Parts: sequence; structure tokens; C-alpha cells
Amino acid sequence: MAAGGLNLLGRAGAWLGRYIWSGWAGLAGLFCLVAAWQLGHELYGSFILPAPGETFAKVQQILLSPGFPAIAGVTAERALTGFALAAGIGTIAGAAAGYSFATMRILKPIVTVILGVPPIAWIVLALIWFGSGNGSAVMTVVLAGVPISFAGALEGVATRDRSLDAMARTFGASAVTRFRTVTLPHLLSYMFAAWTTTIGSAWKVTVMAELLSNTGGVGGELATARALFDIPAVTAWIVVTVIFALISDFGILHPIREAVERWRSASLPWGVKR
Amino acid sequence: MKLALHGVGHSFLGRSVFEGFQLTLGEGEVVALLGPSGCGKTTILQIAAGLIEPLRGRVERAYRRHAVVFQEPRLLPWQTTLANIGYGLAASGMSRSLRDAQAAARARDVGLLPEDFDKYPAELSGGMRQRAAVARALAVDPDVVLFDEPFTAVDVGLKRALQDLVIAAAETRSFSAIFVTHDLSEAVRVADRLILLSGEDGRVLDSRQVAGQRGRRSDREIFDMVDSWSREPEFAELFDPRRQS
Ligand SMILES: Nc1ncnc2c1ncn2[C@@H]1O[C@H](COP(=O)(O)OP(=O)(O)O)[C@@H](O)[C@H]1O
Ligand SMILES: [Mg+2]
Repeated sequence: MAAGGLNLLGRAGAWLGRYIWSGWAGLAGLFCLVAAWQLGHELYGSFILPAPGETFAKVQQILLSPGFPAIAGVTAERALTGFALAAGIGTIAGAAAGYSFATMRILKPIVTVILGVPPIAWIVLALIWFGSGNGSAVMTVVLAGVPISFAGALEGVATRDRSLDAMARTFGASAVTRFRTVTLPHLLSYMFAAWTTTIGSAWKVTVMAELLSNTGGVGGELATARALFDIPAVTAWIVVTVIFALISDFGILHPIREAVERWRSASLPWGVKR
Repeated sequence: MKLALHGVGHSFLGRSVFEGFQLTLGEGEVVALLGPSGCGKTTILQIAAGLIEPLRGRVERAYRRHAVVFQEPRLLPWQTTLANIGYGLAASGMSRSLRDAQAAARARDVGLLPEDFDKYPAELSGGMRQRAAVARALAVDPDVVLFDEPFTAVDVGLKRALQDLVIAAAETRSFSAIFVTHDLSEAVRVADRLILLSGEDGRVLDSRQVAGQRGRRSDREIFDMVDSWSREPEFAELFDPRRQS
């Protein structure tokens, strides 16, 4: 019992260690970016580009301010609702289309066209269609995100290994079992890529929509800071948005992907960590 | 009779592969289906397995379960070896613990070691993967096993070991089997009877009983049979280099 608990703890520790270790490379890259930022600041001065130090002090101030949870909450709710809707609708519709060759042929060009529409155009349209309420930010995220998940799911289902499907059929596996054991694991690798893109764009698009429609949240704060020419606040809110996007990607999607796709490291030179 | 194909014919895109194919698989019998590449062996096997509906003729089945061993292992890359071996059992709704026990027993039968059970297919050698594929087929306790050139891709030494494994399993678990191959000596080793298909039109060129009991034939006997048969004109196609894929 105690040994089992210790073993589990050891495994969790090893996993965390690996996770943090893989973060080092990322951190090194980020520091290069900060250095370039500092250089830009020294060349152009505070009014164009506030120093990283100045910005991070402002970020800290923002994060600790009493109004922050409410502001962040509004944006988070919109971004995550939009993401959930986009990922849900896009994945289910795309997977269904992937099974039907005719549907795929018809929908593929449509999706390609829709994917080509820039998010900013969706914001303008959503503002016209839904007014400047909660709905337009969410709708924009959905409109921008659905085609990404749709395309990923369609590609995932269409490229499933039919020989594995045939194998499953010889064992009398039902359609549901075959989907769960043969198609889904393959589909998931496409979906994680699509969802990562979608969740990243969800934050950006939400903030953009909020800024344009002036409906509070992080985008609203950004609009205010801009109006007041509070440049450190502008850069600080940008940093906050990036932090949100990073948290949802590395804090939520990545760990799930690691757990679900453990088998993938089996074909890597260092193998599966057990 | 376990399985019978009556006057089966099939075409792909209007091009006929074979017509009027007749086969009756007896209880406990192993029939080798021989023929050069592209003559329709896989198609016949897929029809027998119910993977494709024949355009002409009908298939008669008098058994509970069948299993197929494909040319490639066709293991699920995202499942461990043990889960892969238990796949057929899982598909029929057996509980996890029961199926793991049964899969482990079959895994040991085919010479896999317990330390391999938790590995993913990518971590197994080619031979181990094909062993796992054989174990997966045997795990469902099939009455009929359909082999589609299962050992073509493995090296000679291992091929022999895997053939012995199939011979032994057919003995102890008493299943009937169709064993597709383009290797005459493999057919003579594992089968009771062999059917030779033509590479030209998929017609049956020859059908004959293999002397002696399967698994008890000596290497000498096998060599002599292969040597004398390969001189017969019917078998010429099988050894024609232009017909090898
Ligand atoms: N799905 C398919 N579509 C079209 N032609 C096929 C298909 N499967 C097999 N064929 C053709 O049918 C013939 C017999 O193929 P197959 O049964 O695989 O032969 P074998 O297993 O003896 O090598 C070949 O000419 C092959 O090109
Ligand atoms: Mg074949």
C-alpha cells in the first residue's frame, strides 16, 4: 500500500520533472525575446516600447489589483465558451464528414474558403449580426475556430488506417468499438493540433472583439489604456493575454495530450517513460 | 464441413479476378492456397472472412468464430501488446481481468515474455509483432483461422518457428485453417491439402493432398515433395521470376 503510494508519487514526480525540464528550452527562447524587446526599448524609448521591466511591474500591479479577477473572468468565460463550442461543433461535424466521401468533397472547399476569412472580418460581421453584447465575442471565436477543428477532424477520420479497421471487423467489433479503438486515437493527434491553434486564437479573437465592441474584459482595458496613452498598461495587458493563452495550452491541453498519447513516445529513440 | 465457398467469383472495377471458385474446408483441416502474386488469394481470404461480399456465388459457414492473421501484424500502435492480443476478446465484451489473463496465456504460447506485455508495438521486433498477431487470433478460440501470407516478411529462421507454432496450435486447439502462401515448402509443411491458383485467371490449376501427417513430415520428405512438384508444369508459374512481386 505504502509502496504503491510511493511508486505513484515517484511517477508523478518524474512526470513533473520531465515537464519542467522540457520547459527550460522554452524559457531560454523567451529570454531571447525579452532581450530583443529591451533592445527595441533602448532604441525607440518608452513611449513607443516600454521596457520589459516596466511592463512586468505593471503586469504585477494588474494581477494584484482587486478588479482583475472580474475582468479576466469575463474574457476567460468568452474565450473558453467559444473554444468549447468551436471545438465541439467542429470536431463532431468534421468527423462525421470524414466518414462520407461525398460530404467531404463538398465541404472541403467551403472550409478552405471560410478558413481564409480573417478573424477581424468575423468580428465586424458578428457585431452587425449580434450587436455588441457577450454573444458577438463568443460567436467570433466560434466562427474563427469551427473550421480549424472541422478540417482537423475531417483529415483525421479520412486518414484513419483502414487495414486496422478491417482487422477490427474480422473480430466482430461494433462500429462504436471500432471508432473508439481504431479511429479515435488516430483522430486525437489531429485534434490536439487543431485545438491548440483554436485555443490560442480564442484568446486573441476575444480580446480583439472586446476591444472593437467595447464590451469590457481584457479588450476593454486595452481600449481604455490606449485612450489614456498608458503605453506600459497596453504592453502589460498584451503580456497578460499571452500568459492566458500559454496557460490554456501548456497548462491544460499539453498535459492531457501527454497522458493520452503516451504510446507515441514508444517510437522515439528514448522510448516510453514508465 | 466448417466453411465452404460455392462457385465464388469476384471482380474489381469490372475486371474479373477469378470465377467459379470452389472450396470446402473440413473439420480440423488446413488447406494451403498457393499462387503467384496478384492471382486473387487475398481476395478469396477476404471473402471467406466476410470482409468483402463476393459478386458471384455464396459462402457457407458452419462455425462460431473465425480469426484472421494478416500479412502485416496490424496491431494497434496505441495499445500495449497484451491489450492488442486481447483485442478480439474486448470486442466481444469480455471483462478486462478475464481477457488479460487469457491474452497472457496466448502470449506465452507464442513465445512472448511477460516483460513484453506492457510494451507498445513500436517497441517490439518484427517477429514479435507477428507472434502477437498470431496470439491475438488464437485468443478468441476460433474454429477457423484464415492466414494471409503471415510469415512472408519475417526471416527464414523465425519463419520456421512461427510455422511450427501454427502447426502446434492447430493440433492442440483443433481449428480448421486456410493458409495463403506463395511459398511451396511452407504449404507442404503446414497443410493437409493444397490448392494451386493460376496467375493468369485465378483458375484452380491443381488440388492435391499432401502425403503424411502435418507436423510429422521430416525436412527430407518436405524437400523431396517440393523438389519433384516444382518440376511439374502446373507449378512453373510459382517459380517464374516475372510473376514475383
Ligand atoms: N481493392 C481493390 N481494388 C481494385 N483491384 C484490386 C483490389 N484488391 C485487389 N485487386 C486486384 O485483384 C487482383 C488480386 O489481388 P489479391 O487478391 O490481393 O492477390 P494476391 O493476394 O494473390 O496477391 C490483383 O490484380 C489486384 O490488383
Ligand atoms: Mg495477397
